[in-house]
Amino acid sequence: MPFPFHLSPEETLRELTELNRKVATGIDNLSRLREEDLQVGVTPKEEVYREDNVVLYRYTPMVERPFPIPVLIVYALVNRPYMVDLQEDRSLVRNLLRLGIDVYLIDWGYPSRGDCWLTLDDYINGYLNNCVDAVRGRNGLDRINLLGICQGGTFSLCYTALYQEKVKNLITMVAPVDFHVKDGLLNLWVGCGPGSQGMDVDLMVNALGNIPGEFMNFGFLLMKPFELGLRKYLDLIEILDDDKKLLNFLRMEKWIFDSPDQAGEAYRQFMKDFYQGNKLIKGEVKIGGKPVDLREVRVPVLNVYAEQDHLVPPASSVALVRYIGSADYTVKAFPVGHIGMYVSGKVQQDLPPTIANWLKERA
Amino acid sequence: MREEDTMRLSEQAEDLAKAWTEAQKKMWESWFDLIRASPVSTALSPPAADQWRELALQGLKSWTADSEQVVKDVAERLVTTQDVVMRFLDLSISAWKAMAPQIESGEDWYTCVTKYADHLRQQLLQFPQDATQVAQDTDELQRLYLEEWQKLVQPWAESLRRVPWQVGQAATGDGSAGIKLTNLYWDAYERTFGRLLESPSLGHTRELTQDLLKGFDAWVESRRAILEYQSGLAEAWAQALEQFVRKLVSLAEKGETIQSLAQLLNLWIDVIEGVFTTRFRSEDYLQKQSRLVNTVMAYRLIERDIVEAFLKTSHLPSRSELDEAYRRIYELRREVKELKKSLRDLKAELSDQPKQGGPVVPFNGPTPGDHGQGQTHN
Repeated sequence: MPFPFHLSPEETLRELTELNRKVATGIDNLSRLREEDLQVGVTPKEEVYREDNVVLYRYTPMVERPFPIPVLIVYALVNRPYMVDLQEDRSLVRNLLRLGIDVYLIDWGYPSRGDCWLTLDDYINGYLNNCVDAVRGRNGLDRINLLGICQGGTFSLCYTALYQEKVKNLITMVAPVDFHVKDGLLNLWVGCGPGSQGMDVDLMVNALGNIPGEFMNFGFLLMKPFELGLRKYLDLIEILDDDKKLLNFLRMEKWIFDSPDQAGEAYRQFMKDFYQGNKLIKGEVKIGGKPVDLREVRVPVLNVYAEQDHLVPPASSVALVRYIGSADYTVKAFPVGHIGMYVSGKVQQDLPPTIANWLKERA
Repeated sequence: MREEDTMRLSEQAEDLAKAWTEAQKKMWESWFDLIRASPVSTALSPPAADQWRELALQGLKSWTADSEQVVKDVAERLVTTQDVVMRFLDLSISAWKAMAPQIESGEDWYTCVTKYADHLRQQLLQFPQDATQVAQDTDELQRLYLEEWQKLVQPWAESLRRVPWQVGQAATGDGSAGIKLTNLYWDAYERTFGRLLESPSLGHTRELTQDLLKGFDAWVESRRAILEYQSGLAEAWAQALEQFVRKLVSLAEKGETIQSLAQLLNLWIDVIEGVFTTRFRSEDYLQKQSRLVNTVMAYRLIERDIVEAFLKTSHLPSRSELDEAYRRIYELRREVKELKKSLRDLKAELSDQPKQGGPVVPFNGPTPGDHGQGQTHN
């Protein structure tokens, strides 16, 4: 058997020296970048409603006569919503606008310690409902379209079950529904894994108040520690001299580490009822005392998921069909991971027309 | 295995080790040449290998001083990556150097790999084991616990030192014996001199002593949980190395050898990610991780009680008091929103606007900055 390495000393040294050179050049390139080079969420928009930390934006339409029923994007509380408009050529929002969709977006803001008492009731019956009313009011409509992403998809499902009369069509994107699908490491860690020996959410919220964004982020990165902590930066070394790719990387990096704290009480209920109790599919979730029955979701539903999603396993999303009352259900898969849904060039070619066409067929 | 093969193997491992030593030296030299050539000149001389990263980071801070935070973070992660690459190569080459003589002496690859992985496992587990031994030594733990508190409550350090500790005895059992003992002590103390004391700093109280004792127990629990967690990860590292070497050998047996550093690194990442992912899904890991989080949080709660006792004596607001104030503000805010909604509904009714059924009343406000006016929930 031959020796497993065929690394000549000269070649190894050459590779290492090259590694050094690239890192040093790259850091030099990085140091020349300024804040304006790293702008995110640049598609023009106006603030149309504000309540506490929450801001509702309307994006400036890009066609003369946009589709009359607007779409309200409901993002997760975890991470920032500008992921849907990361940069000009990687923007779900911009692509929807180009296709004539009138787009609104909720920015949940950064909860401070003073917001630690906010509950899911405040988020869903309060802020979300008020934003829906604001969009309905501005457009003189009974019903609008909802596009809920990730945790925002779960919120949108709860909202639609409670306020069917205000929702025309519902799109859920990489949204967790069955939280006890064991494919997902996140589900195992905080939900269905160690049972009674598991994470004590009450203790955590009592001790911390709000759950720090850094804590959440650390958990997400720990799911793929060497891919996300090492290989990603090794790959970065190879693109450090390519300005366009470097800026793409940095904008993404900015988003990944821009993690708001989670309001303690809302986190407590979401973790206990959804992740640990899996109560959404059992019909046992109550938001502000109102029971959430997914069978009440009878509007048309488009469920979009990522086939390689390591955060929200596909099985968790596609379970939706078993629990909703809608007779008009469409499911669409994309061959990417959770983040790829927003930034993959291929997905951005296919996803916006999928959404736009599906909505227009149900005007 | 033929003799010429084993000789070649040994020589190659030795050559690789020598080349690696030389490469490391050149690495540092070239890195510091690059740093010196950067816009931020440094007066650093090439350091010893284990110091290089720290110095590189110092240079890096100046280099990216005016950059946005994300740039600073990414630059630091790049240097960390470079460091990891070097450490990984160091580990790999050490492994081969250690195994080559055994293979020469006639042992088969897999036995050698297993032995080396065991050796590494023992080394990796040494720290948690040593620390666990410390965890059995109550006096040492008590000293560490006090050190931690003295850092945290520096302004009150003198008061803390004057607390008559019974922690040693308490920590050997469940703590209740110690609490009883100190209660007896405090009862006597308070009946006599205690009531007469007017301490400008912290007066000793039974509650504080109890909190400190509870804190000690919780602190010990959290340290133990951290060590158990670290042991679990150390085990995963050892498994990863074992699997990595096995993978290399199995590739070599198929006639596929590693031709470049990049190839070697990518293989390593594939293997270690797989091992850790499996580990992260195991029942043992799930329990250790949960216990780690739960014990640290339990300690943090008691820590807060103790800090609040100190704050109280200095007439400063505590976390709990602030949270209570926040809760009242939050409740009032909700109440105001409800009242505004009622008022708006009432006005709509009075102006004879349709309130329910039919089309939705067009909602023209609120305007930006109009914090929830007319928009609320029940």
